[in-house]
Amino acid sequence: MKTTVVGSYPKPKWLLRIVKMYKDGEVDEEFLEEAYRDSVKSVVKDHEIAGVDIIWDGEMRREEMTSYFAERIEGFEIYGEVRVWGNAYYPKPSIVGELRYRDELALKDFLYLKGITDREIKVPITGAYTIVDWSFNEYYKTKEDAVYSLAEVLNREFRELVKVGAKYIQIDEPAIPTHPDEIEIAKNAVEIMVKGVNAYVGIHMCYGNYRAIFPDVLDFKVDQIDFEFANRKFEDLKILKEYDYDKDLGFGCIDVHSRRIESVDEVKNAIRMALEIVDPDRLYVDPDCGMKLLPRDVAFEKLKVMVKAVEELKEELDI
Amino acid sequence: MIVTTVVGSYPRPDWFREYLRKVAGLQKDLDVEIDIDVLRRAISEVIDEQKRAGIDIPTDGQLIWHDFLLTIASRLEGFEMNGLVRYFDNNLYYRIPIVKGKIRRVKRILHDFEVAFEIESKIKAVISFYTLTKLSRNEFYGSYEDMLWDLCDAIREEIRYLESIGVKYIQIDEPSILYAEKRELEFLRDLFKELTDVKSETILMTYFDSAERIFPEVLDFGFDTIGLDFVEGYEENLKIVEEFSFEGINVGIFDGRNTKMEDLNEIRERLERIISIGNFKRIYVSPNTGLEFLPRIKAYEKMRLVSSLKEVFE
Ligand SMILES: [Zn+2]
Repeated sequence: MKTTVVGSYPKPKWLLRIVKMYKDGEVDEEFLEEAYRDSVKSVVKDHEIAGVDIIWDGEMRREEMTSYFAERIEGFEIYGEVRVWGNAYYPKPSIVGELRYRDELALKDFLYLKGITDREIKVPITGAYTIVDWSFNEYYKTKEDAVYSLAEVLNREFRELVKVGAKYIQIDEPAIPTHPDEIEIAKNAVEIMVKGVNAYVGIHMCYGNYRAIFPDVLDFKVDQIDFEFANRKFEDLKILKEYDYDKDLGFGCIDVHSRRIESVDEVKNAIRMALEIVDPDRLYVDPDCGMKLLPRDVAFEKLKVMVKAVEELKEELDI
Repeated sequence: MIVTTVVGSYPRPDWFREYLRKVAGLQKDLDVEIDIDVLRRAISEVIDEQKRAGIDIPTDGQLIWHDFLLTIASRLEGFEMNGLVRYFDNNLYYRIPIVKGKIRRVKRILHDFEVAFEIESKIKAVISFYTLTKLSRNEFYGSYEDMLWDLCDAIREEIRYLESIGVKYIQIDEPSILYAEKRELEFLRDLFKELTDVKSETILMTYFDSAERIFPEVLDFGFDTIGLDFVEGYEENLKIVEEFSFEGINVGIFDGRNTKMEDLNEIRERLERIISIGNFKRIYVSPNTGLEFLPRIKAYEKMRLVSSLKEVFE
């Protein structure tokens, strides 16, 4: 039973300020780079102090989870932002040509992180299905073609990551449960993405209706599926029970949409419910999703509670 | 004779987004107090942009609409707003309206439209009725029919008011009606007749799917013009045009949800086909959906494409 994170973590306020200064031309790239590296160090320290077993760099460089990758892959063009709800917008990329590998996506971040921590590392990258679903398609005949083509690009990145020592890759696919009718495409895409990737692979899904993707999702070629449970009051655990869930489980048990800090006892109770479904060595305890929208001190406290709950349980269960 | 138009929504100018962020934040939603001069400036910018692109009948761009239901629901008595729900198959979410009490019109609904109407009188008002009830959750009315009638009364008051100030075009957006059951359509006829019984030209706008399931019933709803989505349902809607006769059509033929710019020749051939099969007195051409699904520069390009189509036709 290990603790981990989904990916993002609140950015230090000074980093946000420096990014803005960089955009306004007030500081140069070297200055910004140093700020990014220092922010990763501080985030890693937060995770280490909290005691999280498997960590990532808090995604200090990513402002968003679609366009960040689209900007680094041949064939994408970003014309501007579109609304996702209310007054919230995101830069929605357009696929304008054949999708091809151009720049590394997380390789440098991984190597840097590896150099500053002894903790186990997980590398999260947004999956092919989600990136395509959140993009315009001007080039490919079908969405399916675009997804598979992008899956090849990501597969290359995953293999490069493994070459330099990555052992745990997480494919972020929040869009999959929002289109249960296209689960077959998503499944095929995962197969392409993990082909020849000699690492532990998890897939993270939030949003949407979990019931609609069962039991198909159990056939995905991944070692672990990571779901959000806290946000849904743990009711979805019964779906896993119904379908004899048999993969490792990423167990989102900290609500990232609420600033209320969970008590150690309630997290322990939640984990006990998860242990009715999988054995402790197949359980990965984490927050529901990335924590970037929380205030930093709240995120830090939540991580500490999560780790404490796991430690106490381990002791009680003698594992 | 082809008239170019748009469906309704248009991307907010950046500065207006910033302004809204300041006055309302990201989460606040209900009927925010907006400085009327700021609103006027934003709307006139968007109307100008549509006219510059060659759109004959623009809209106000629905710039203060946080989603397609909220503006209507939050200005009526009886609704409360809840969590986010996906809007059809779009990567766009709306706050689900919950009916908590009797629905009543207690103030003007399209107050932003009125600002636009002062700037430009040749402009289309956009409202919705049935779709609002389908995408809401009813926690008050014992029967769905009662809820529909109350909402119908409220919307009718608004439409009558628009008529009284001289609005020439009133569009009712009803993507949900494409999924109405046959017997429901018969019941809806009486309601829609209440809404379309005005001197203004009334337009039923449908999108996201083909419309074969609502014909022939919809022909008795009293609309002057029916809008069909020829991007999502070209073949099916072509059959409708072949089989049924109606005088006014809005041909939604450019994809309002893709940055790809269509080949004008292909679109022209399609439009020629539609027009030659039907027997129309009024033909409007537009994108199939509102343009807020696109980044602003692409929304403008789409409108340019719509008006180029008109040019090659003339
Ligand atoms: Zn997530």
